[in-house]
Amino acid sequence: MTKLRMPHLDWPLALAVFGLIGIGLLTVYSATSIPGAHQGLWMKQLAWCGLAFAAAWVVAAIHYRLYDSLAWPMYAIALVLLVAVLLVGTSKMGAKRWIEIGPMQFQPSELAKIATTFVLARFFDHARLDLNKVRWWLPPLLIALVPFALVAKEPDLGTGLSFPVMLVAMYFWAGMPLGRLLLGLSPVFNVALFFVTGSIWWFVALFAGLLAFARPKITMLVGILAINAAVAVTLPQMWNHMHDYQRRRIETFLNPDHDPYGAGYQIIQSKIAIGSGGVTGKGYLKGSQKALSFLPMRHTDFIYSVVGEEGGFLGAAVVVLLYAVVIIRGYRLAAVARDGFAGLVAIGVVTALFFHVMVNMLMTVGWAPVTGVPLPFLSYGGTALIVNCIQIGLLQNVALRRREY
Amino acid sequence: MLAGVAFAGFTLVLLGLLRLQVVQHEELSRLAEQNRIRLDVLRAPRGAIRDRFGRLLADNQPSFDIVFRPMPAESLSRSRAVIHTDWLMRVASLVQDDTTIVKRRVQEANRTGQTAVLSRNAPYSVMAAVEEMRADIPGVDVQVAPIRRYPEGSLGAQLLGYAGEINDQELEKRQDAGYRMGDLIGKTGVERKYEEMLRGQDGAEFVVVNAMGKRVSTLSEGPPRPPIPGHDVTLTIDLDIQRALEEGMAGVEHGAAVAMDPRDGAILAMVSKPVFDPNEFSRGITFARWRELTAGGGNPLLNRAIQSAYPPGSTFKVVTMLAGLQYGLVKPESHLPTACSGGYFFGGRRFGCWEHRGHGSIDLLTALQFSCDVYFYQLGLRLGLDRLQTIARAVGLGEKTGIDLPAESRGLVPTKEWYEKRFKGYMPKGALLNLGIGQGELLVSPLQMALMTSVVANGGRPVRPHVVMKVQGVPEFRIEKPTEPGLEAAPEIWAAVHDAMKRVVDAGTATSARIPGFGVGGKTGTAQNPHGKDHALFVCYAPTDVPRIAIAIVAENSGHGGSVCAPIAARVLRRVLLGDSLATAPRPPAKRDSTRAAAPDTTEAPGD
Repeated sequence: MTKLRMPHLDWPLALAVFGLIGIGLLTVYSATSIPGAHQGLWMKQLAWCGLAFAAAWVVAAIHYRLYDSLAWPMYAIALVLLVAVLLVGTSKMGAKRWIEIGPMQFQPSELAKIATTFVLARFFDHARLDLNKVRWWLPPLLIALVPFALVAKEPDLGTGLSFPVMLVAMYFWAGMPLGRLLLGLSPVFNVALFFVTGSIWWFVALFAGLLAFARPKITMLVGILAINAAVAVTLPQMWNHMHDYQRRRIETFLNPDHDPYGAGYQIIQSKIAIGSGGVTGKGYLKGSQKALSFLPMRHTDFIYSVVGEEGGFLGAAVVVLLYAVVIIRGYRLAAVARDGFAGLVAIGVVTALFFHVMVNMLMTVGWAPVTGVPLPFLSYGGTALIVNCIQIGLLQNVALRRREY
Repeated sequence: MLAGVAFAGFTLVLLGLLRLQVVQHEELSRLAEQNRIRLDVLRAPRGAIRDRFGRLLADNQPSFDIVFRPMPAESLSRSRAVIHTDWLMRVASLVQDDTTIVKRRVQEANRTGQTAVLSRNAPYSVMAAVEEMRADIPGVDVQVAPIRRYPEGSLGAQLLGYAGEINDQELEKRQDAGYRMGDLIGKTGVERKYEEMLRGQDGAEFVVVNAMGKRVSTLSEGPPRPPIPGHDVTLTIDLDIQRALEEGMAGVEHGAAVAMDPRDGAILAMVSKPVFDPNEFSRGITFARWRELTAGGGNPLLNRAIQSAYPPGSTFKVVTMLAGLQYGLVKPESHLPTACSGGYFFGGRRFGCWEHRGHGSIDLLTALQFSCDVYFYQLGLRLGLDRLQTIARAVGLGEKTGIDLPAESRGLVPTKEWYEKRFKGYMPKGALLNLGIGQGELLVSPLQMALMTSVVANGGRPVRPHVVMKVQGVPEFRIEKPTEPGLEAAPEIWAAVHDAMKRVVDAGTATSARIPGFGVGGKTGTAQNPHGKDHALFVCYAPTDVPRIAIAIVAENSGHGGSVCAPIAARVLRRVLLGDSLATAPRPPAKRDSTRAAAPDTTEAPGD
């Protein structure tokens, strides 16, 4: 029966999340404490917290078997909504991501993320799963790539990429050997290395290493070689035959804010804020704020810069530590889950969370492009907070039933 | 394993933090203390536009703009002071703008950290005032930016178009392409159609400024990104021909003219009257002046050569003749049953010929030479709508020509379906007669007339009208395929049409377009205008043996094609064929010319 037994909650996970939400509230308060349009937002965020907590509770209370059986319908609805958002969605700053329902705004990509996790978990949990066969490894690829393509079209590459990232982690968890997984990913490395280095020799070296490591079967070797050869031949050709403005477009697509007056400015301001915090920080509310007062996103996407400025390295490291607790406890839950479906859901959810945390934090320290992904639990924003808490609710759901027989 | 990846990721973040907060702490603290980092945009020059021989038609010149630079971030008190009323009043009076507009721009600048332009191309007195008042108007500065310059002034203005500051709707639509407030964008003409090529990519650099907002040094972090200039565009226009055509059109108040190379559709000259000076727009135009320009019927921004459609009048008889020959209904020497007695009776009504005295019984060649309406009424009736409109479309009428300029008019070649829709299933009886002589519902743009003349001149081969010859730095640039199908007809048919058109100029209705030593083929026209005086039209091509120029001219409300338009064409032809740069030979005495149609409700063509 689905009776709540408190001792079975994963308490370190729960406490870490509470800690993060608490720090988030304090930082939103601090970031919006200077006179301006956003004052008082922390109260709204507090209200969202209540709602998010309730949502997490409900999600945790319902037995995950129900999610298992509803996976496909949820996935179908999510896809319909993703198509709908492209047709009738509300545009903000050039991207169509929201559907408006009365006063509420809702991002179908968030629903799609959860529904895709369920469908993938359900699929990989199949008794006869054999990832050596095409009919078993190909469908998950399609399941993840369809929502990825739709979300990337919005365009929201940051959120979209969490689908393939999640997929890779779940392939691994479902038993695909690491070497083969990396080999399967090699066309992606191929494209990425080409764009980063401009030469294919880097990839050739990497590929040779991969082959030595994975020792694939001859059929797979031929297939992967063919794909990579096709990519390696066509990519530079295409690139060289494109007009300047076409290249510019691709660059803008890969890196939407790559123009210096938008993102470059934000990154520099973010680095100055964090760097000037030093080891111990400038103190809560004393943070100059200054560096960030131009940034419209200091309480959302760039909130971690405020943490770094006011809390210094110590404060920022505490946040990193709390995230590490969440992620590592989450992966541990996958290991102790009662059945395959639960474990796979945990893997998908934790990986998606981890990806977003990484993308945002590496952006604020200047090591990743600006993609407009908020920092889970810390950034201001109702939808994101609710979705993140629902993800935690799912993890707790797994935790609650780990000893159920 | 997965936990290991997570561990590595978090370690990376910690390393990033350590780098900023320990290694670079001092440097970044110093920057934070001053926090006087500013982002300066390095404007990329827009590509130049040149004529086919490289003569300059549009380039850039520096403009001294009054700008607002957002305050260094830490000085919150100061950035509040900026929205202060005194400051606003001072700045607004300086740039002669509304305080609300200035306020809006300043707020936007403060929000985004970008520089806002308050006034473009400020006169010296304003710049001096800014320097004097600097202490009282913090944040306001003078900045140099390129603006568009059109050295030939109004020459080919509608063709070139103009570039101006991007407006809100354009910004909304083009934000993804990296446009920003204050950017230049092509609004009309070539400037608009080739925006993507002409536009450069702005660069940027981070600079450290002092308390007064003066630049001290560049920032070592983030090297400057140099601007990438736009591509230069070479037009097919020949400045000499353009000048000759403009001079010829000087006396025409409203109208348009197109000169085309019939071999490939390259536009040699394009004129639309009245004209405007695109430089006015570069300097920034007031709303009042904009209203003044666009109000009323004489909108000079309209490119009448491609955006206006006129009844082709008797110039269309070339198409009727071609159709009659192509479908084997007549031969060049055929006489039709009813001789011209100055009118033709059909359906109980009399349709007049422009020549009240009548042409008598004449053959097809003579009918075109003297533009006999009665002959073409009968030919139109024999052809019927389907065959007539098929040939019209084959030579490029009724569809967009696909020229590389924005907002081209389709014109109208009515079909059976069109008549059924328009007249509720009933096609008026006289419609076909009128179509035969180019009146009634037919509408064509001057460009389409030039295209029709080109296709006829080169024996039915379709061409694609275009104004851009090449784009520097884009070797793959190609002219697209023609949109009209062209017309395959027997050589004798073409010979007959060419012969008839040559006779029009040699000894017909357009003798004023004669050029000694060269054969010129042409056709005059007079289009009925229900709103006023008739429009005069003329199309021609030359030389007749190997045509290398085709011209179409429309002069609104000015009477007869032969007397008004043919001399204009002659001026251009002399320039092209004789290399006569003055092209000022006295006008030969004009012969009364051309035709006008009978409106269905008149019993006789109105005389003049």
